[in-house]
Amino acid sequence: MEEQPQGQAPFGQQPFGQSPFGNNPTPIPKNWLVESILVTLFCCLPFGIAGIVNAANVNSKYASGDYLGAQAASAAAGKWTKIGFFCGIGVMVIYVIFFVVLGMGGAMMGNYR
Amino acid sequence: MNTKYILGFVIVITLGVVYYNFNPEMYFFFPECPFHKFLDLDCPGCGSQRAIHAILNGQIMAALDYNLLLVMSIPLLLIHLFFRIYAHLSKKDVILNFWYNPVVPKIILIIVIVFWIIRNIPAYPFTYLAA
Repeated sequence: MEEQPQGQAPFGQQPFGQSPFGNNPTPIPKNWLVESILVTLFCCLPFGIAGIVNAANVNSKYASGDYLGAQAASAAAGKWTKIGFFCGIGVMVIYVIFFVVLGMGGAMMGNYR
Repeated sequence: MNTKYILGFVIVITLGVVYYNFNPEMYFFFPECPFHKFLDLDCPGCGSQRAIHAILNGQIMAALDYNLLLVMSIPLLLIHLFFRIYAHLSKKDVILNFWYNPVVPKIILIIVIVFWIIRNIPAYPFTYLAA
């Protein structure tokens, strides 16, 4: 451990809370808007709506200067988008398995139809 | 990172070939939306599979009839894809400011909700929107 003199930033390191881009303190967190739209359109489950609501929260909170709130909304948007995505995939997989099982059953039962 | 893109590309191409060749209305191995199956109502995404089949076969009018929202969002999504590829190739972090405008998600949300409600109204001008 090296001792740093008080009141002096260590060499080559930004002072805490500041970024090299002066006027923009924190970059806007990912708002998952495009992903939410895709989930709404293709996964056919209303989870995408929750994603879009949270995307709206990310943008409006960031615009009003609430960076922590924007990050929380970003996490929520990501969560709902992923839930919607994996539910959609799950429904698809279950459906295909069901179809395959039915198809095999149908092939075996073919004579009794 | 690269394997992820290649995998995604392969999946998209495979799905494209499947949806080009098989009409979801004729073959029953396409999954049906649970919302539609159990509530007998259309959700904002109902009709997407048939709309994609119609678009891939060049029948834009039929696709509009299946899911107006999907067809309207395709130009927007293509522009987004173009910007993402450009950002990836030029190694510049191009953020499409459009998506981060505070008003845009609200407008999209209102469009989706209104579309969801009016496509379930069983009266003449709205039945066009139904899947």
